Amino acid sequence: MSLNVMIVDDALFMRNMLKDICQRAGYAVVAEADSGEAALELYRQHRPDLVTMDIVMPKRSGIEALQEIMAEDPAARVVMISALGQDTLVIEAIEAGARDFIIKPFKEERVLDVMRRVMVPR
Amino acid sequence: MDMSKYRDLFFSEAREHLAQMSRLLVALEQAPADRQTIDALFREAHSVKGMAASMGYEGAAALAHHLEDALDHVRRGGEVPVALVDRLLAGFDLLEGLIDDLQADRPERDIARFLAGSAGSRSLPEAGPDRMEPPAPPSPGTEPAAVGEPAAAPAGDLPTVSVGRVYQVTVELAVDVAASAARCLLIVRELERAGEILSLTPSRETLRQGEECRRVQAWLRTEVVRSELGRTLRAIAEVRKVTFADDRRTDGGRRSSEAGRSVRVRTELLDQVINLSGELLTQRFMLQRASGARDWSELNGSLTDTARLIEELHHRSLQLRLMPLESITGRLPRLVRDLGQKSGKQVSFRVIGGGVVLDRVILDALADPLVHLVRNAIDHGIAGQGEVVVTARREKDLVLIEVSDNGRGMDPAELRRQVVARNLLSAGQAERLSDREALLLVCLPGFSTARQVTETSGRGVGMDVVKAAVEKLGGTLDIQSTVGEGSRFRLHMPLSMAIIKILLVRCNGLPLAIPLTRVQRTLELPAAAVLEGTPGRAFRLDDAEYALHSLGELLGGASGSGTDGGKDLCVVVIEAPGRPAGLQVDALLGQRDAFVKSLGFPLSRLPGMSGATIAGDGSVMFIVDPYHLLEGGGLPARYQESSHAVL
Repeated sequence: MSLNVMIVDDALFMRNMLKDICQRAGYAVVAEADSGEAALELYRQHRPDLVTMDIVMPKRSGIEALQEIMAEDPAARVVMISALGQDTLVIEAIEAGARDFIIKPFKEERVLDVMRRVMVPR
Repeated sequence: MDMSKYRDLFFSEAREHLAQMSRLLVALEQAPADRQTIDALFREAHSVKGMAASMGYEGAAALAHHLEDALDHVRRGGEVPVALVDRLLAGFDLLEGLIDDLQADRPERDIARFLAGSAGSRSLPEAGPDRMEPPAPPSPGTEPAAVGEPAAAPAGDLPTVSVGRVYQVTVELAVDVAASAARCLLIVRELERAGEILSLTPSRETLRQGEECRRVQAWLRTEVVRSELGRTLRAIAEVRKVTFADDRRTDGGRRSSEAGRSVRVRTELLDQVINLSGELLTQRFMLQRASGARDWSELNGSLTDTARLIEELHHRSLQLRLMPLESITGRLPRLVRDLGQKSGKQVSFRVIGGGVVLDRVILDALADPLVHLVRNAIDHGIAGQGEVVVTARREKDLVLIEVSDNGRGMDPAELRRQVVARNLLSAGQAERLSDREALLLVCLPGFSTARQVTETSGRGVGMDVVKAAVEKLGGTLDIQSTVGEGSRFRLHMPLSMAIIKILLVRCNGLPLAIPLTRVQRTLELPAAAVLEGTPGRAFRLDDAEYALHSLGELLGGASGSGTDGGKDLCVVVIEAPGRPAGLQVDALLGQRDAFVKSLGFPLSRLPGMSGATIAGDGSVMFIVDPYHLLEGGGLPARYQESSHAVL
């Protein structure tokens, strides 16, 4: 399965890690955003199959960016990336339409498992 | 406000009111001036109106209001005219049908015509929803409808009728799941996509607050089939297990349409159950302490107390399922009235022992058979004038329900003749039947479908269905009849289907359970007392001859587990089709209470296997129903290999 993925994270380290995981699985990372502000515009341009979205980012949070993307495309598949202990934020994100979430620190297979499940047509 | 959680309660209460109204209407017809009956009817209609309006069932509320108004009107007039009784009866039927529609989630039947009919009738005051004061504020757009078209407006505004099946879904998460509440919310979202969530544990609010949770349980009304929903749910990350269940032990899922139905329980009984479980909690700590201290005498004492508590709790929990017989006899007076009127017979009707309680599964399943029996009593039993009585009473572990009439009665000789004439039995077979067996011929399917039954020869309508229903529930049907005096149809039913008393026997080296309700007695029979003959072995007891079967052989085991060695035989005398019979077993092991687990397919198809229970050592023990086993002549050959493997 070939997937076009967009990664939104303010930390370069996390972006690179996620990018490596995607590429090893044969997925194409078509866009990267380092802030919530840039996310919507990039989503419009690339219409990726899947977005990974860090929840906590400076300025515009991942949840706000998620809301903007969902308003733009209700069928968007957004997977939230969250640190341990941010359950209430994750819940908020799910209520805002996130398809699933991954808790840091994560293992490679865990990330791919969630991505594959989210891509199952429903 | 979300009213869906009150739905079950509404229907269970509405049914009680309807049953009461049905009784009262028949009473009203007999005593049209009885003020108390009119008052009681008025209150019933009033209750239904208020409940229906609260639920937003505007059609039902309007109709109930209409009936209430009519009753209020006659309350002032004194006596109820005959025409009005008929109209009230018709209105009541319509209301009952409407409640059926609502409960089954199908489009509501038209009541506008009925209500409109009243506008021209002088005996009824005009009534419509305009004077209703529903406790819930009416939704915008629900203008009070004009008389003459009252139902049209509410019907259009009713919420979309939901369809589909109701079942329970349980989703369990992996043990080490992170952000479990969020994960549960994902599951809830999928459930919502699939259908309407009727109830949810834990609640959405609890989940939103981030409470840890590894298990979501929901009652769902959905058109999505289980396998499909299961696939969707299992596709969610961290989901470990998805299980489905209906409301209760299902007959192969046939009862699923009734899933979600509720039972009303006396608060007192509920309190007792809660108290007992509380005591058990305390008891657990005492057990833990005693075991920690290795104090054996303390441990022993605590165990005894625990056993007592568990038994008590068990007993009380079983009572939660019991309901009085009168909960299903409510509609019978009306039935008798209508049938009497139709056939031009004068029939009086009584229920004796309506307070006798039975498991509600059994009651539910008995409702139709009872109607059949009462109908038959009027159609075929009563000639011109007579009485039909439904009697219930406890007889040891059983409940006897009897439908009797003082009509023509049935003639066994005539029944034998009929059955031969219809080629259902040979003349020789018919001659060998005892009178008791001959009366049961009316339960033969071929007999039942014969429409032209002579007046004295019997009543066949649906008796095979009645018999099958009774036996499926673990009961027996027996018929007594005397020509010229009347007939009694006697149903012996178990009290409960979940817990039964069993007799433990050993057979082919394995323990087996036989429901005690099927056992008349046990005995040790000297080998010399066995009479060898054709068609098989027999023995005499108290001047009667009983056929002797080997349970082992019936179950497909080796034959010849017989009289060798001249030792005494262990024999269980059981209820069998027609007449009691003896079952030879290897040993009698004792009695106990057993919690019945129903068998899944394909085991459920084995004739004579009515379920299984868990023995004290944790092993599975099958419950054999000898009645069915003998009826079918034992397990057919094609089952024998598999039954061996199972047993």
